[in-house]
Amino acid sequence: MPESMPEFELRLIRCFASVFPALSDDDIRTLDGSESGSWDSLSTVTLGAVIQEEFGIEIDPVQLPEMNSFEAFRAYLAEVLN
Amino acid sequence: MKLIEALNILKGLPSDAPKQRRVLLACGFTPLHLETYLGAYLALQDPEAGIRITTGLYGDLAGTLQSLDPSTVDHVVALIEWSDLDPRLGIRNLGGWHPRNLADIVESVENACAGLERTLLKVSGVVPVAVSMPTLALPPLFATSTCQAGAVEMRVRAAVVMLAANLSQKGVRIVNPQRLEEESPLANRSNMKGELATGFPFSLPHASTLAALLAALMSDAAPKKGIITDLDDTLWAGILGDDGVQGISWHLEHHSHIHGLYQQFLASLAGAGVLLGVASKNTASVVDQAFERGDLLLTKDSIFPVEANWGPKSASVGRILAAWNVAADSVVFIDDSPLEVAEVQAAFPDMECSVFPKNDPQAVLDLMKSLRAQFGKPTLTDDDELRLRSIRAASEWREAAHSEAENTDEFLKNAQATIQFDCSRNAADARAFELVNKTNQFNLNGRRYSESEWRGFLGDPAAFLLTASYKDKFGALGKVAVLLGTVRTQTIHVSSWVMSCRAFSRRVEYQCLKHLFETFDGADIVFDYQSTARNQPLQELMTKLVGSESRLSAARFHSLAPDLYHQVEGQVHA
Repeated sequence: MPESMPEFELRLIRCFASVFPALSDDDIRTLDGSESGSWDSLSTVTLGAVIQEEFGIEIDPVQLPEMNSFEAFRAYLAEVLN
Repeated sequence: MKLIEALNILKGLPSDAPKQRRVLLACGFTPLHLETYLGAYLALQDPEAGIRITTGLYGDLAGTLQSLDPSTVDHVVALIEWSDLDPRLGIRNLGGWHPRNLADIVESVENACAGLERTLLKVSGVVPVAVSMPTLALPPLFATSTCQAGAVEMRVRAAVVMLAANLSQKGVRIVNPQRLEEESPLANRSNMKGELATGFPFSLPHASTLAALLAALMSDAAPKKGIITDLDDTLWAGILGDDGVQGISWHLEHHSHIHGLYQQFLASLAGAGVLLGVASKNTASVVDQAFERGDLLLTKDSIFPVEANWGPKSASVGRILAAWNVAADSVVFIDDSPLEVAEVQAAFPDMECSVFPKNDPQAVLDLMKSLRAQFGKPTLTDDDELRLRSIRAASEWREAAHSEAENTDEFLKNAQATIQFDCSRNAADARAFELVNKTNQFNLNGRRYSESEWRGFLGDPAAFLLTASYKDKFGALGKVAVLLGTVRTQTIHVSSWVMSCRAFSRRVEYQCLKHLFETFDGADIVFDYQSTARNQPLQELMTKLVGSESRLSAARFHSLAPDLYHQVEGQVHA
């Protein structure tokens, strides 16, 4: 695991791992909903709820469906937490 | 529980577990995270079992329940929200809140409640059902100010309360609204954004709390069995040896009312079959005098045994456990002295030991709530009230039998024992279900049943449930033996056989087998026998009767059975 990886990214990986238990950390980092068969709308809603609870933030329900990759969530969190 | 924790618990569930708990989660909204939480809490109850939760159609709670095939599930969980009773009471529907609609809403709610009652009672006749009544706030549709509870709103609420009462009376388990309010205050329950976006109306903490309570309602775990209490500054205020019998108190005027509440609470538990014992450092004769006081709210009859002496408390507790014949982990010890609590805890690490918070009334109330949570049971049986008297009678029997050990037959002949047999397929026999699920020593194989397994077994037309109630001149022991099995042609197959340890040494087990042969005109009994770490008494009997076999012929039984002196009464129900 890269040493420079911010703490929030590690926490984000743990959130993803709870929803996608079959994926490795590396798979999660490159996970893209538009290319993954295991990602559906239920995954998005569950991920959104887990991440909101874990990070104590509120994600606008209108924006949530657009966040369909690990990178999208990471970028959103980086912006919100900074 | 956080959602990520629930997901991780489910992640670790065995996918190929032989035991699967199949649950229908019926609700009118999107079950989403509630399903996750419910699965997680059920998994914590039994980590070895798999969990399979099915859900119904969105917006059709009644239809989901009506179309259920009860053979496909072990439990039903039904969550009723206001919108299930009339969609206009939900926030995702724009059916109109005009005052002229209100009378129609009331009528609609009353009709929906009546329909749900019929459906849920029908389902609960086949599988156990747990129900949560509406947990969310009603929207502001009523004409009165929100400070005022108007007649229309009260009629809507009354319909729901009556539904809950009627269901509860018939054995459906209802989530306690007071407990829910304590753990999940009304103001924190809803998630408007989430409901509008996804159809899931609950905040995560509320979903977690509700799922935990529903899972608890589905638990097969047996409640604790006994409380051992101290006397001085616990059952009453004051030190008996210093203050004297008239100096101890439990009343408002003496600022010791909290001890009166504690007495009243223990009397309530005793009435519900909880064993009460006393471990006190006192002189026994003075304790006897104290219990003569007519204003005590807990009579000495409700307590057995009373260990009043100057030895270590742990020794007294050990003797009480022996008299009750129960394990330490089924008992709670309460004493105002942290030192005594520590001493007993060290001797019995599995026992829950609590300090009686004599100077903190709120803490005493909290202690009583905690005890009620651990000792509460879904239904009371006639045997519950009999339990302590039965243990006392068994103790007197043992003392008498010990002194007349040289002539056992003569002793048994003079005991004036009567055994009342009842043979049926009555799955609602709560005492029989309880005995099978808690008895360890005289237990054919240690098998435990969930409510749905129990009902399923007795749904077989070939099944039988034989129970034996016992009394003699020393007192009544209540229902002491249960045999569960099937009869096909002339072979009686016994799947479960348990007998309370209180009935040992009275040849009740032989009378049970004799009655079984006679009732079914059987040629053989085949036992589902399995030795366990704790069923030594049963192992000894089986060795004597069948050796290494599992089949007992009527002829062999009659050649081995000792003389039986019970008067036998029997009833067979179709």
